[in-house]
Amino acid sequence: MNNKFLEIAINAAVSGGNILMQNYGKIIKSSQKESLRDIVTEIDALSEKEIVKVIQHSSDKYGILTEEQGQIGHLDNSYWIVDALDGTVNYIHQIPLFSVSVAFVKNGQPVAGAIYNPLAEDLFYGLENTGCFKNQKKLFIKDTPLSSSLTAAAFSGKAYNKKNRSGEFELFGRINDLSQGCLRTGSAAMNLAYVSAGNFGACWGNANKFWDIAAGLLFARLSGAVVKFHVVDDKKHLVNYLAATPKCWEELEPIVSDVIKLD
Amino acid sequence: MKKKLLIYGAGAIGRGYIPWLFSSKDYEFSFVESNSALCSALQSKKVFTTFRTKNNKYEKLVCQIENCFLPGKEIPTKYDAIITAVGPRNTLALKDKLAKVDCPIVLFENDMTLVNALRNLTGSTKIYFGIPDVITSNTAPQKLLDKDSLSLVTEDGECFVDSGAGELGGFINYVDEIELKKQWMAKLYIHNTAHCVAAYLGSQCGKTYLHEGMQLPVVYNIVEGVMGEMKNMLHVKYNIESEFVDYYAKKELSRFSNLLLYDPIIRVAREPFRKLAPNNRLIGAAQLALFSGIVPENLIIGILSAFLYDKADDSDYNIKYLVNALSPESFLKLIIRLNSHEALYLLILNRWDSIISKLNNLPYE
Repeated sequence: MNNKFLEIAINAAVSGGNILMQNYGKIIKSSQKESLRDIVTEIDALSEKEIVKVIQHSSDKYGILTEEQGQIGHLDNSYWIVDALDGTVNYIHQIPLFSVSVAFVKNGQPVAGAIYNPLAEDLFYGLENTGCFKNQKKLFIKDTPLSSSLTAAAFSGKAYNKKNRSGEFELFGRINDLSQGCLRTGSAAMNLAYVSAGNFGACWGNANKFWDIAAGLLFARLSGAVVKFHVVDDKKHLVNYLAATPKCWEELEPIVSDVIKLD
Repeated sequence: MKKKLLIYGAGAIGRGYIPWLFSSKDYEFSFVESNSALCSALQSKKVFTTFRTKNNKYEKLVCQIENCFLPGKEIPTKYDAIITAVGPRNTLALKDKLAKVDCPIVLFENDMTLVNALRNLTGSTKIYFGIPDVITSNTAPQKLLDKDSLSLVTEDGECFVDSGAGELGGFINYVDEIELKKQWMAKLYIHNTAHCVAAYLGSQCGKTYLHEGMQLPVVYNIVEGVMGEMKNMLHVKYNIESEFVDYYAKKELSRFSNLLLYDPIIRVAREPFRKLAPNNRLIGAAQLALFSGIVPENLIIGILSAFLYDKADDSDYNIKYLVNALSPESFLKLIIRLNSHEALYLLILNRWDSIISKLNNLPYE
């Protein structure tokens, strides 16, 4: 895989993150999308615009799939995928857990990407056949068992549906009791980044948007986690996934796949 | 009865220098080496040659060894003394093995803080710091390798060890804490700082061995300039006498240029992020110079040359992606961890374009 894609992803993610920091605590308006938790602000749009500019300046050959503008250019087998602000609700409420996620996807698989949490100044980046890094350091997970791991969940952003939501809550509760806790951090990208860095032993998501998790799925895999994902709705870009240390995976895979479909 | 030494690391210092410190009449050597090919070669041959440069000639020492183990196969409690020369990143990983021993343990590592860290982790109080004040190559010129593929070349250096480890014996200067600290400061800043700058500049000029880069006047002058800045810093900040730092710097310049040593640049330049850490020999040294009222112009050139280090098989090879991808501001902030209000951040940033341009235009062969 060409280093150029990695360098573009890093540049784009940090450029978007700089916009988020310039506007941190200055949200003027926000609007609701599918649910009360699915919010967009004018800063999402500003960050996305900057990221798209960086990508197009360096790599105008490929289309871009973004959260806010949707499809830009033609999405062939290879394309960029961008979430300019993952964790918008945290950002609005000034909880320091949000990030920019940028990935390059080839034949349905993310192969290069970057996730940047500008407040923590944590830059995660990875490239297929090369590895995954946080700032200076190459990341390798430790194979921790579930009982000594912190875990995280990302619920579907869809509006309330009793059947779906009770399944999620049931799963959340079970994993919360089987581990040192299951967090709902509000940023699926950061959940996966934290799995790759060994902070979390596992994370799972139900019907998450692919732009939230594309880079993170790559990093978790490159750092040695077991990763599976299932495309729930191709048109809406909804994906289920589980990423876990091998030991966590053994315990979690049967429990999670009982509630959400994994390939 | 010979003393049994166990040496962790059969690299440059372990294999090339340590055998010169202990007479084979009184000591026997065993090694622990993680490079399986090297370990296997040493274990099967049970002998290797180390050459020492003295008066522009090589002196030869054929070193017999008892064993070379892969990590985990050794039994440290069987030995009378242990010496480590595995690199600072690998030293603390020895904690479980070293917790079980009662003999003196000497760390020939480039980090004095490891002594207390390892004492805390192992509960042992018999862990001491040692300074092999020497440059040792982890290889040798082809004519020597043709005779013994395990050959190494070292200088005729001096070795300083904490006097607490005196029972170890050998051709070692056992010194008190004050002298050890003075030697360490000189080694850390006059030697280590300038040494890696010479390596990064040499790499930028496409050279393989350190002395090849030092033959270029542009490289020599910058390295000499770095030493001057470090000498001033040591004198101002630590009150180390001028005569000592002058003597030390002169000695180092001559060593770096030693035509017989064949010190590979990839050995000296490896792991640039470690050397760029806030308290280490590049950024840390520059901060100390600034705190002492010295603007380290030459060292800043050295720091930027470290940013450009590009070796695909180095463990910090990702530095290349980050330098290419990030703006200078973001690179300094996110990766080097300098704050934007710091003097060093501003000094580097203001000089970034002109120095990078100069470095990219150094003569390349």
